[in-house]
This record gives sequence, C-alpha cells and structure tokens, in this order.
Amino acid sequence: MTTATDRKVSIGRARPGPSRLQDLAATPESPRTPLLRSTSSIYGSPGGSFRSEDEYVVLELGSRYLRGGFPGESTPRCTLGFGPDEQRRVGDYRQWDPEYSTTRRKRKRGQEWGQEFELYRMDLSDVDLGLVEDKFERVMREAYNKYFLLDPKPRRVLLALPPLMPRELLSTVLSVLFGNFQAPSITLMSSPILSTVAAGLRSALVIDIGWAETTVTGIYEYREVHQRRSIRAGKLLSEEMAKVLDAELAKNESGSSTALPDQVSFEEAEEVLTRVGWCKSREDYPQASATSSDDDENEFTDASEIQPNETSISIPFLASRPPKTLTIPFSTLSSPAETALFASDTPLYDLDDHDQPLHLLTYHALLHLPIDVRGVCMSRIIITGGVSNLPGLKSRLLSELQAIVQQRGWDPVKSYGSASKRRNQLLRKRRQTPKTNLPHSAKSTESTDPTNPPVPLPAGLADPEPDEISAKLARLSTKTVPAATTLGGVIRGVESLGAWAGGSLIAQLRIRGIVEIEREKFLQHGLHGASREKEVSVVPQRQTLGPGVRPGAGDRGSWSLGVWA
Amino acid sequence: MAQPFPYTYYSCDCYDSATLAPTSKRASHPARAEEEDERTFDPRNPRSNYSLYPLEHLLYCEDCRQIRCPRCVSEETLNWFCPSCLFEVPSSMIKSEGNRCTRNCYNCPICTSSMTVSSLEPPKVPTADDTGGLAGPFFLSCPYCHWSTLDIGIEFEKHTGITQQLARIRNGGKVVPTPKEREKERDKKRDAEARDESVAKADELSPEDLNPSEPPPQEELFSNLFAFYKSQLSLAAPSNPFSPHHDINFSSPSSFSRIMNLYSSTSSKKQKKDKPAPMREACSITEGLVPYNPSLDAAAVEALKTHGWSHTLSPTQKLHQTSPNTRFINELRPIPTLLRTKRGKRCRTCRHILSKPESKITSTRYKIKLLGLNHIPRLSVRALSSPIPLPTMAASTGSQGFDYARLSPGLPTHFLLTLSNPLFDPIRITLATPSTTAGKVQSRVTIMCPQFEVGANTDVWDDALSSGLTKRGATASTDPGSGTPQVEAGKIWDRGRNWTSVILEVVPGFLKPIPGFDFGLGGELAKKVDDEHELDEDDDVLEIPVFVRIEYESEVAAEDRAAAGAEHGRAGAAGGKEKREEAFWCVLGVGRIVGGP
Repeated sequence: MTTATDRKVSIGRARPGPSRLQDLAATPESPRTPLLRSTSSIYGSPGGSFRSEDEYVVLELGSRYLRGGFPGESTPRCTLGFGPDEQRRVGDYRQWDPEYSTTRRKRKRGQEWGQEFELYRMDLSDVDLGLVEDKFERVMREAYNKYFLLDPKPRRVLLALPPLMPRELLSTVLSVLFGNFQAPSITLMSSPILSTVAAGLRSALVIDIGWAETTVTGIYEYREVHQRRSIRAGKLLSEEMAKVLDAELAKNESGSSTALPDQVSFEEAEEVLTRVGWCKSREDYPQASATSSDDDENEFTDASEIQPNETSISIPFLASRPPKTLTIPFSTLSSPAETALFASDTPLYDLDDHDQPLHLLTYHALLHLPIDVRGVCMSRIIITGGVSNLPGLKSRLLSELQAIVQQRGWDPVKSYGSASKRRNQLLRKRRQTPKTNLPHSAKSTESTDPTNPPVPLPAGLADPEPDEISAKLARLSTKTVPAATTLGGVIRGVESLGAWAGGSLIAQLRIRGIVEIEREKFLQHGLHGASREKEVSVVPQRQTLGPGVRPGAGDRGSWSLGVWA
Repeated sequence: MAQPFPYTYYSCDCYDSATLAPTSKRASHPARAEEEDERTFDPRNPRSNYSLYPLEHLLYCEDCRQIRCPRCVSEETLNWFCPSCLFEVPSSMIKSEGNRCTRNCYNCPICTSSMTVSSLEPPKVPTADDTGGLAGPFFLSCPYCHWSTLDIGIEFEKHTGITQQLARIRNGGKVVPTPKEREKERDKKRDAEARDESVAKADELSPEDLNPSEPPPQEELFSNLFAFYKSQLSLAAPSNPFSPHHDINFSSPSSFSRIMNLYSSTSSKKQKKDKPAPMREACSITEGLVPYNPSLDAAAVEALKTHGWSHTLSPTQKLHQTSPNTRFINELRPIPTLLRTKRGKRCRTCRHILSKPESKITSTRYKIKLLGLNHIPRLSVRALSSPIPLPTMAASTGSQGFDYARLSPGLPTHFLLTLSNPLFDPIRITLATPSTTAGKVQSRVTIMCPQFEVGANTDVWDDALSSGLTKRGATASTDPGSGTPQVEAGKIWDRGRNWTSVILEVVPGFLKPIPGFDFGLGGELAKKVDDEHELDEDDDVLEIPVFVRIEYESEVAAEDRAAAGAEHGRAGAAGGKEKREEAFWCVLGVGRIVGGP
C-alpha cells in the first residue's frame, strides 16, 4: 500500500479536492488518471472542481447536548449543554459569583426533573418552539464563534439526529441552521446508523441510552429495520440518584433536629452520577428478582448494611447549608442504575410497554428482528449514549441479555399457560439435540459439532440437509471476506466511537446522504417541500455518458425527508 | 439579577421579525402573529432572556435604523490569536492545526488557569540572565492549584515546542508513535494478517490478544476506521466507476475504455459479471473494530472503589478535556489554550458593517463602531428616597442610600426615571407600561408623566453657559424628607441639557398571595401560605417592562447632523427635515421585594 501515504498527503493539504477521484486513483487494479493532471476546463470534463465547496460542519444534536466539529477529526470540537447557565441574559454574570456554586438552586415550579437542562422533548405540546429556537441559536452561535473559528464562508452541515423527531422541531432546527448560519445545505443522518458506521460495522443493534429515552435500533446493512424505546434512561437515572442521595442525607440528618428536608439539586445529582455512579455486575447483584419488590428491597438494603467492611465513599455537598460531606456505602451508588435501568426490584407485570428495563427491551428488540438479521445483530451490539459511560453498565447489560437468551431462547411466548407442560417436554427433547435455535449464520461454525447423537428427530427440529449451493456460495464469500465479519449468533458487544465520529467519517469520505436539504428549497417551502417518497435513490439509474450526465449527480430534483418523513 | 440594581435591559425585537419571516410552517402556533401587536413584553418569559441586552451590548444599524443585537448581526472573523501568548495564527493554520494554540500555551485541566513551563532541576547557579542554564527535564505546572504534568507522569526534554512533545507522550510517559508511524505499522499489520489469513484462520483473534487490556485511543481508532473505509470504498469503486458520486472524467482511462467498449458486444457481458461486492465490515482492531471488553469496565469500577470521589472529574473538567472518554484524574491532559478571534460584525439584513476592530491584536480600538449607546436614549432608574417614612428602611439604609434589594411590598415607592438623549436632535418620548407587572408577584406601576421631551445632545458648554446650573443645584438640594409634594401627575420631575427625568411610582406586590383582606396575618398562617407558593429563583425581582417610543426630526443627510446639532436653533431653516420614529421595549430592574411586610 504505497499509495496510502500519497493519499494522506493529499488530505493533509487541506485542498478541498475531489477526493472520490483520489479514491479511484488509489486503487491499484486498473489504470487511472493521475489526479492532479491539470486539464483545462474547456477540454476537460466538468470534474470535481465544481463541487469543491463541500466543506462540512458535523453536528450531533441531542436533547441535552450539542456536539460540533469538523469532518476528519476524531473528536468534536465542542460539546455544549443547554443548562440554565447558558440561558441567562447577556450581562448576567451571576454564575461567576463565588457564592453561586455554593448555593443550591431549586427546581422551578411545575417543571419536571431536569427540564430546564433540555433543549427539547419529544412531546411538543408543552414545548415553546420559539424557546427551542432561541436556545439552539445561542448554542450554535457559541459553537461557531468560540470553537469553530470559521472563516466567513458558509459550510454545509451534516446533522446527526435521532431517527424519530417531530417535524415541527426538525423544521425549527433547520430554519435556524439555514437562516442564521447560512448553511447551503444540510444532510440529515440518523444517529444509530452513524454509531454503526463509527464502529466499523454494517449491521448492528444500537442501544442508545440517552437522556429522555433509551432506543434500541436494529440496523441491517445500514438500514434501520426495527426500533424499540423505553423511558428508562438518563433522566430517570439521575432522578433516582437524587432520591437515593436525599434518603441518605435524611438518614444522616436524623440525629440533628433540622426539620427541613434537604433536596439535592439536579446539578448535584448529576455530578454524583457521572463521577461515582456505577452499575453492579450481574454476579454481584443478589439474584432475587423473581420475588416481590418489598422483600427484594429489604434484602438489598440489608446487604449493604451487613457488610461493615465495605468501602464507602464520601461525597462533598458544597451547595447545602452548611456544606457537608456525605459518606455512603459504595454499593448504594449502584442502586439508581439498578432501579432506574434494570428495574430489578419491580416485578415484571408492573412494567408497562414504555418502561421496559433495558435488558428486556434489548431482548425484545432482538426477538422481533427477522431471524437472520437477529443473528447478525446480536453479535454486534453497540451501547452508546451518555449513560453508557456508567462503569459496569455495558457488561451488565450484555450479561443480562446473555442470561435471558440462555433461559428463554428465542421464543416470543413467555408463558404457555396450561400448555407449558407439553412445551417443557418439547424443550427437554430439544435439549438433547444440539441447539437448533441458533440463527443461520452461526450454523456454519457450529454444525461441525461432532456430538450429534443419531436420534430420530421430528422434522421441524432436524438439521436441514446440507445445501451444496449455499455452501459453495458461503465458501466463495469467505474467500473475499474475512471470516471475522460473518460472525453471528453469539452475543457480543462492539465499541463505537459514537454518532458524531460516524458523521465525521461520513462527511470526510464524502458520502452523500439520502436526506439532503438545499437551502433555497427549504426557505421556499419549508419541510412541506419534501417529496413524499421515503427513499430517494442516491445511486441514480445508469446514465449514458453524454451531456446530460451532470444534473443527476450535482443536485437532485426533489428531496425527501427519509426516515424523518 | 446578577447586575446590581437598578438596571436597564433593552429588548431587540429581532426574534419577532425573524419568526414571522420564514416560518409559515409553525402551524402549531397560529394565534401568535395576531397577538403580536397587543402583547406586552413579559420579562419573565424564558424567551425574553434571549432578546434582552444591556445597552452596552447593542449595536445600531444606521441604514435600517434599528438596534442590532448579537443575534441579528452576522460575524466574520478577521484574525485569530492565542489569548495567552498573543501570537497571531494564520487562517491556514486554523484549518490544519485546529482551534487551539500550538505553541506552549496550556490551561490547567483542574482549574483552567494558564500553566507555566518550569524545570525540574533547581537552577544551579541563580543567575537570571543565563538562559542556557535551564536544564533538565521540564514540566508544565499550574501556578494556582499546583497541578502539574508530573502528576500524570509527563516530563519534557525541552522547554519549547511543548505541543509536539506532548503529542508524543501518553500519560505515564509512554511514547506514542506519530500518525505516520502508526499508519505504517497498521499497513504492516494488515499485510501480515492478509498473509496469515490463508494459512491459519484459527488465530483471527491474535490482533485482539496482542493488546488485550487497552484499546487504542480514540484518535487512533478513528484513523484506523477512516483508512479502512477509504480502502473499502476504493475497492468498491472500480466495479462501479460511473456511479454519480464520482465526477465523471472524460479524460480518465477507465471511462475511456468504457467508451471504447460501449458498442462492443463483449463488454456488456463483462459488465454484468462483476457485480459490485458489498463493502465488508471491519474485522480487526487495525480496521477500527473493537469488541467490547468487560475487563475495562471492571477496572473502572475498581478504581472508583479504591480512589473515591477525589479521583474523579467534575462535569466541567470533563467537558474541557478534548478526549470524551476521560474519567479519572490520572487521565487528564493539559488543555491547549483555545484561540480567540477578532470579528467584524455586519447587519444581517443590509450587510453594512456595524463594527470592525483594528486588525492588530494588541489594539483594542475599532475602525468602525456603531453603538446603540450613541443612538438610543439611555434609561436609568434610581430611587427617589421614599416619601413615606419607614422605620426598617431608615434603619437599614440610613440617609445616604436606598436598598434596592429590600423593597417593601405594599408601600408605594418612587423612582426617578431619567432619559438621556445621545442624539443631536431633541426627541419626544412616549412611555407606556402595563399597570401591573406580569408574573407571580404583581406590582402596580404608574409612570407619572408618560409624555415629555428631551433636549438635544448639544455641546456641553451650551449647558454650562445657559441657566441650567441653578436648576441642578435645586435638584441636588432636595433632601429625602422634604421631597414629597413635588410628585405630581403629568409633570416631569426635572430636566437638563439632554436629559429629562420623570417619576415612576411602584407599589411592589406581595410575595405571598394575600387573600385580599389585611396584612396582619398570623405568622404561622403566612408561613403555610409561603410554603405552598414557593417562589422560584428571581421571582421576587421587580422588573418593569416599559415601552419607549421616540419621535424626532432630523436632517436627512447623516453628515449634516453634527452641524445641525451644534446650532439646532436654526435647524428648521436648513430644510430636508425628516420625521423619524423608533420604538422598543425596555426592562427596568428596580429591585428585589422582601418577604415580610
């Protein structure tokens, strides 16, 4: 790969060049035009030079943070929050007051936990879109002026968004970007797909544990095929942490006579959560989740009290009056994750569809995928989102999932009721045979198992007869593709660099998205200008070489909102 | 509010006009546009935080004749510099090196103060001028909190070029290969893998086994991924060279060969044969795939357990770090100083330059600066010492001042609202305010004289020469106790050369809702009410929205204005007069209401 360095050089030169052509030039297979051959514009083709203005800004917008930066960089230039400190009036410098950090601020009346730290929420009925616009505009202005330090030239925007976004909200965001920041075009990308890209995969199960909700998205060949969501996410977790801290503080206070119950503020709860919050591994957690919730809770608190030699952690609360230090057992700090994310103390029948614990949510998402997609996805589980940084959470989630799969297999029926006896028989019978409920792709590796007892089986459980043709095809494909990429059927987590990095990769490689909105068209029609069809082919049908070649590539006649439509 | 009382905020109405313009799609709020006219400005609305500015922050576009706030200007960067070393960075460097100083400027990751380079060895001979004597390993240290790079095990050989040195050292002193070396390494590894692949498929896991404990840092992973995708795309490219991603180049051999083959019969078959193989996914760490490693999680939990709170980073410290995965104090890196810019500002609608600083970095002067200060009358409030004698007030504040942070509810208080005119023409002012303030605490507000004139901003000497002197003396002599009878509806309080003051009467509302009868509620009952109706932060601040409308006549040509101002007596004779009108909302923050009566 001698060409690799050459390529590198041409990237580093920061010449906004037709890098696709560089790609062409880099492959050794066929003869190619040297890249920098100067062709005069009259005789040469209308080449890539016209599209040289494709400089991008990559943004990732979540409900609490905005990440922004430039393509080709591994980390965003800035991560900006939407906290109340960012929403003060100009000239209001109270946050720099030394006393400010030591006073505890109350939550505003009628506001939910952490509401003033959000940019938007999915339920738009009580969201002032104008306020969203204001917040977003201010944050974008800060990003542009303080961190991007751009020259005045407008740049295209690649915007990573969650795949479900209310249209009003989307149009607010877009109009700020088009109107105030003069973006010539905006490419929308859905963040699970970008996470997949940033993990180097084509298919994955992306578990995005975000602020308001956790979404589990099955991605197959860069397409979202299934999505499930639950409200067990960051918001619930930090609220739970606040409850735990309040309880602990009250316990400490109980000796003294101060009657006023101290309420931990949002900032404090979140700081504790991000600093010392953790998640128990599956083995650590007392496995009693089948019992009723009350027993369980008792057992849990008992467990933490019984071991006196357990390490405890002291947490300073500077904002409380007087400042105090709370010393709590280390294991207590893991209980919010337990209650909020895994709902270990809640019996299953108490859980609604919208607050499924994460492991069950993931399991159900996998269960509802088609079997071959499931096989691919289950060994490509990406856990991302802010909460996923909680130490121990990823391994817990994966091992919980593993446990469910072992226990239940891929059977959508949880309880067979009166038929369960018969079912158990069936299961027993099946257990004697090697596992046949593994998905396809794993079979190629597993079927070599020699411990295949020659028991006459019902046809449904029998191994399918070896298929010569598919075997050959598989052999052919493994010749070109490393076997590691065909892994499937086992549960495996994969690390991802996150949606922002995925966007950065995509923009740097100049891959065009399905949803690309031009400024003029948006300003004319708004979102209504989008064509109804969800899929605009990015790869137009074959075109003849001729004068009419250009328009298909340069701009599209109509644009669509893709998954956001 | 954080500004000391009393203060004045000016509202820029750009957000109103902006929302009206392109958003026909905001269907969910159809009623808004109609309400727009009757609506009074509500300083408590969370949105008003974004439209209120101190006068000093506002610019003024002379062509649009409007206030321009930071929202409705577009900015363009003139030059870049490091605030710490004041070194100007060319724009090409910004593109290649990013937005941070690449010299020796670093900020402390703990407390963000700027760090200094110092030597580990104490200078043997204490001669100050001996610059060559600086010896031994160097380190960056924070003069404020004494954090130093020694805490993360980093020393430098030279005292210059810290950035280059730092880029090559990982925490703990391990040397990191440069990107180029990494790339070579990666290629080597990949070649080796390719060779091995045919031989033994069993040890696919070898690259992962080689470095089991630590995944490569984010940067390296990213470049691995990027290289992988790049190679995959280029592999995919020949099968489909005419996909519209590529700019078709007539002069390239491949398209030439295609043209040649267009009409030959063999080519079509060949074309069909090589179906584009789908891009495969990454399969090893050199290609950017990192399988999840539970031992890292366990290690993090263990570190938390053993080191506790002080070992972790606060959210702000975490945000300052460039790497998003920093969690513990031993993973900190010094933060290169963020560059700053000098920016010119243009009006967003007419593209005129509103302000332009001098390009020299150390200069704070401006070439062009159209301030709102020079075009908008300044409103200022101060208390007219309270006419009703108050025991608490007198005790707490004495004779010299008025405690704005302790307004008593229910007692009428007089404020002096002074408008000063920066223009060279006399202006007519009309003030309007809602009679009760919005929000939870309703205070009654009356402007005693809502319509009046303010003189032109003439030469200061005019004032001194005229009889204004005596008048001012009179104002100064009005002492707190005796000033009561002058408050009279419909009359201005006082006027000077280019200022006029009127009286604003405010009856601060009650923080807790009084059911309507007497103030003498029992203490415990009041407490109960208080608990139920707890106030939010700043609910007790008394802010009065005031609508200000200005009318004046002025010369048509701007350059004549100075002359006209100097001798505005015969301004009418100059002709070409133009009637102008401006209107805006202001918010006067007069003070904080105290709880008890």
